[in-house]
This record gives sequence, structure tokens and C-alpha cells, in this order.
Amino acid sequence: MYKLAFLVAKNLGRNKIRTALTASAVVVLVMIYTVVSTITSTISDAMAAHSSETRLLVRGRWMVRAGFPRRFVPRITNLPGVLDWTVWNFYGGALDESGQEDRTAAGIATRVENLREMHPGLEDLDPAVIDALRRERTGMLVGQKLMKTMRWNVGQRFTFISATHPGQNLEFKVVGILPEGDYSGMCIFRDDYYEEGTGDKERVRIVWLRVADPAAGNRIASQLEAMYASGDTPLQVETESATANRVLSEHQSIVAIIRFIAAILLIDMAIVLSNSINIATQERRIEMGVLKVLGFAPAHVAFLVVGEAMLIGALSGLVGAGLTYAYSQVNDWEGWPYKIQFLSDLRIQSDVVPWGFVYGALIGLAGSVIPAWNARRIRVADVFSRVA
Amino acid sequence: MSSPALQLEDVHKEYVRGSERIEVLRGLDLRVRDGEFLGLMGPSGSGKSTLLNLIAGLDRPTSGRVIVGDEVVSEMDEAEIARWRSAHVGFVFQFYHLIPVLTAFENVELPLLLFNMPASRRRQQVHTTLELVGLSHRVDHRPGQLSGGEQQRVGIARALVTDPTLIVADEPTGDLDGHTSEEILDLLEALQASLRKTIVLVTHDPRAARRVHRLVRLEKGVLLEGSDDALAEAVPGWPMN
Repeated sequence: MYKLAFLVAKNLGRNKIRTALTASAVVVLVMIYTVVSTITSTISDAMAAHSSETRLLVRGRWMVRAGFPRRFVPRITNLPGVLDWTVWNFYGGALDESGQEDRTAAGIATRVENLREMHPGLEDLDPAVIDALRRERTGMLVGQKLMKTMRWNVGQRFTFISATHPGQNLEFKVVGILPEGDYSGMCIFRDDYYEEGTGDKERVRIVWLRVADPAAGNRIASQLEAMYASGDTPLQVETESATANRVLSEHQSIVAIIRFIAAILLIDMAIVLSNSINIATQERRIEMGVLKVLGFAPAHVAFLVVGEAMLIGALSGLVGAGLTYAYSQVNDWEGWPYKIQFLSDLRIQSDVVPWGFVYGALIGLAGSVIPAWNARRIRVADVFSRVA
Repeated sequence: MSSPALQLEDVHKEYVRGSERIEVLRGLDLRVRDGEFLGLMGPSGSGKSTLLNLIAGLDRPTSGRVIVGDEVVSEMDEAEIARWRSAHVGFVFQFYHLIPVLTAFENVELPLLLFNMPASRRRQQVHTTLELVGLSHRVDHRPGQLSGGEQQRVGIARALVTDPTLIVADEPTGDLDGHTSEEILDLLEALQASLRKTIVLVTHDPRAARRVHRLVRLEKGVLLEGSDDALAEAVPGWPMN
């Protein structure tokens, strides 16, 4: 059968305009599909990264932003079963005065002591960076993407123009870089500097607890909620996984719409390919009859049809996914004039390229089923009686 | 006496169109000797192409048997018949039916791709066959770059390349001018003489009919054979010798 592959390749060159138009349509659809499916995979990855049952998030029941009294912290963190803990306060704004959207960042003020242990994704952070943050009170760890955008190096000093704490702009010195991933657009700095700099010494926004096992997590969560239920500031305690699921469920309909669009795109690709291959098959009925006269079995004829669709699909998928990946890289270049902001927020990985090839081939396979079935059923006598 | 290369036994063929039943072939009996060059003539609609399709295993008789060599072609299933046809029948078409995106070489090579043979041997066989039909200088040309006569030579080479038992030619000169027709007939005659192939030639062309060893006529689904008067009526100048 493989010997017939050259005929499949030659067939692509028959009607170059049609082949080019079909391939272009599939390339565009693959590009859109790649972006759309990256949105859902980004959400899935985020869910997977935050699915711990042994990390508890403690916050004020009614408003995260308002937080809860810092004096609660010792009592919360001293509960039996709590292995480790940290706090979060938020400090967001602009990294310079340009007003450009890609130069804004969210900052988290937290404890340095157990930064790596309490932050999934930072486990491999260089201990020297932690040391530097411990030594430098105004130190800040800045996400890789921000460093690239700002063209900064470690040692850079700057004024963070706060949007969350108007008039309380803090001075920072970059002492390390946060890795690619959840933190690439964020900054982390010391909670004691936050307290001192903003004067916000009485409240915390979030306390994270690490517990031994899910059972302990459930017990502590119930205990904490009960302890503060009747006070001025009731607490809400849930596992990281529950938080992620709650956030996801709040956006469930949007995720469902995105998945529906992705499915429609796949079907659309199959229809485009099927239509093109069907026209080609109709045009080549006589040739297929000739092949059967020469001794080609119905399976051989079907192979030629399926092979052609899969080849167009695979090549178009490769090009479409490749272009999307390439553009996502170019899009991150500083000074690139045609920047698509949302593309920077998606992490389009290089593995979309081989997957584009595979998906394209499979779409080609799906789209060629009916034309191939029709082609294998061509009756030679019927074809030649029409010619005569 | 050698066994016949082709034998038809009481072959009937009917088509059903709506409620109408059309009987195209009515109980044909025919024996073609090994190495014989048989001509088949008849008016349009007499069933020539239908008969040719049955002989080449492209269609099945409604009843009766088609035997080529020792094989009962009419009783094979579709996969068997495809395998059998690739090895035992070469087909020459009136309109050549070459694959336009392939070169002359690739067109001739096509039937050999179905065989399990080394590429070097396959290439050798294609070159030899193209040389046999006088086209060794046009191997890399596509059908669109060849004249009608040259395309038909490629068609003949494609029919010959598998070294088949039987060659079936359906009006091979029907689309060619007089001079080119003669050249193609010369080629078929020479190939038949040198390779001792059994050829069944369907034709309307008296020039073609004069080249065959034996001529049969098909009229209204019935074969007429052996009457020199009838043949002389059909073919001016018959018999040739």
C-alpha cells in the first residue's frame, strides 16, 4: 500500500488552487482551534496544579479584599494538625509610569521562610534567591514575562505605582526571577515590608495552611469556621481543590461554550476537507475506474482518497499549529507592533505543533470516510458505459 | 489441440432499468485460442462493451460462465477478481485513460505497484516495455505532453507490462487519425506476433478488423461468426489473403 503514497502526493498537485484553498481554510481553522483549545487546556492545567486536598485557604467569608484581623493568625496556625502556614496580602499596580497594560502586575506579600514549601510551582526556586529576599527588605521576585517586558535584570530598582493602595507607592529592588507558569506575570515580596510600607498591619487577606492529610483538612476547616462563625468576621475555609472547583463552576458555562466552539471547529475542518475530497473523487471517477481495471482493489482506491485527505489535513494542521506557536513567540517580543494581549496570557506550548499534525491527519481521516466509501463502490462497468 | 485462452459458455447479461428488463447479451458461446488475435465488431448498442467488460472481469454475467485460462472469472468475488485482473488481463482503452499527473514511466509502472517485486526489477520491466512500444525517449513526459498516438502507446505498454495472458482492446484506434491508427495497429500486430499474446479487439474500424486472425460480429446480443459473406459485408476487403 505504501507504494501508492507517491500517487497520493501527486494527486495533491492536480488542482493546485483547490488544494491551496482547502489547505488555507484548514490552516486558519487549526490556528483558531489551537488558541481556543489552549484556553481550555490552560484552565485544566491550572485546575490540576491547584487540586491539593492538603492545602487550606482561609479567608473572610464575605470579601477577600477586606481580609480578616491579623490577630486571628496565631490561633489559626497553632491548631493541631497544621504543619505549615503562610499569609498573603495583595499589592497591585504599574511597574512604571507608561500606563501600558502589559506593564501592570499583581504583587503578593508573603512570608519568606517557607516560600518554596507553601507555593506550588516555586519548589525549585534557587535557595540563593530566597536568601537574597531574606537579606533585602525591599527585595522583590518578579515573573519572567514581566522581566522580559520591562527589560530588567536582577538588581533593578523601581517604584511600584500602586493601584490597590493609592498614594502608597513602594520602592523595590529585583532580587530574583519567578519561573514561567502561574507566576510569570506576578511579583512576590516580603509581608513585613508590606506591613511597614502600607501601614496595613492589622489585617491579612488570605492564610494558607498545609495539613497532613485530607481528613485533617476537613476537620480543621470545620473547626475554624465554627470558631469564628459568631464573630464580626466569619471565616471561610476550604481546600485548594475546592476553591479551584468553585472558581471553575462559576465559569462553567464559559468553559462549556469554549469547548463547544472547539468541537464545532473540528467538525468544520472535517466538512471542509470532506467537501474538497468529495469533489475531487467525483472528478476522478473515470480514473478510479481505470485503476480498478488495472487490478486495484476497492481498498486501494479508498486508501488513495483517505491518504489524500489525511495528507492535506496533516500538513495543514502542522502549518496552522506551527504558525500559531510561532506567532505566540513573536507576540512576546518587546516592541512587536502587532501584539495580541490575550495571546500573551495563554501558554501555547511547542507540543501543539506535532499535535496539529496528528489532529489534522485524524480530521482528514474523518472527513474522507464518505468520499472513500463512495470511491471504493465505484462500478467500473458504470463508469465506462457513461464514457462510451 | 491447446486449451482455449478464453471461453464463454451460454453467457447472458441483462440490465434492469426501473421496471424495464433489457437483455443485452443472449446466450453467447465463444472460444478464443491461446495466442489468437480476435476481432469483435458490431453496431452501437449491440453489446460489445458489455461483452468486453465480462471478459475482463469488470462486470458479471446474469447467467453463464466466463473462463480465462483455467479460471472461472464469472464466479470470483470482487477482491479475487481484482487480483486476477492485475495479473492476467491488460486493458487498452479508446481514450487511453492515462493518469494526467503521472509521467509515461509512472503510468506504465502503476499496475506493477500491486505486485511484490523489487523496485529495480520493476523499473527494468517498465523500461523494457516502453522500449517495446517505441517510447523509451518519452519516459519522463506527462500525457499532456504526448501526442494521441504516443499516449495510446503508453496505454498499450501499461497493458503489457504485467505480461498478462489476455489483452483486451476497446476501440484502440477510435480516437486516432488514419496514419496514427495504422501505426498503433502495426504495433499491436507486431506485439501479438512476437509475444504470442491473446488479443480481443473491439473495433468499428475496418482497418483494424483486417489485421485480426478471426472476426466475430455481435448483433442484438447474439454472436455471428464464420460466415465470410457476413464478414465481407462488415469489412470491405475481407478476407485479406
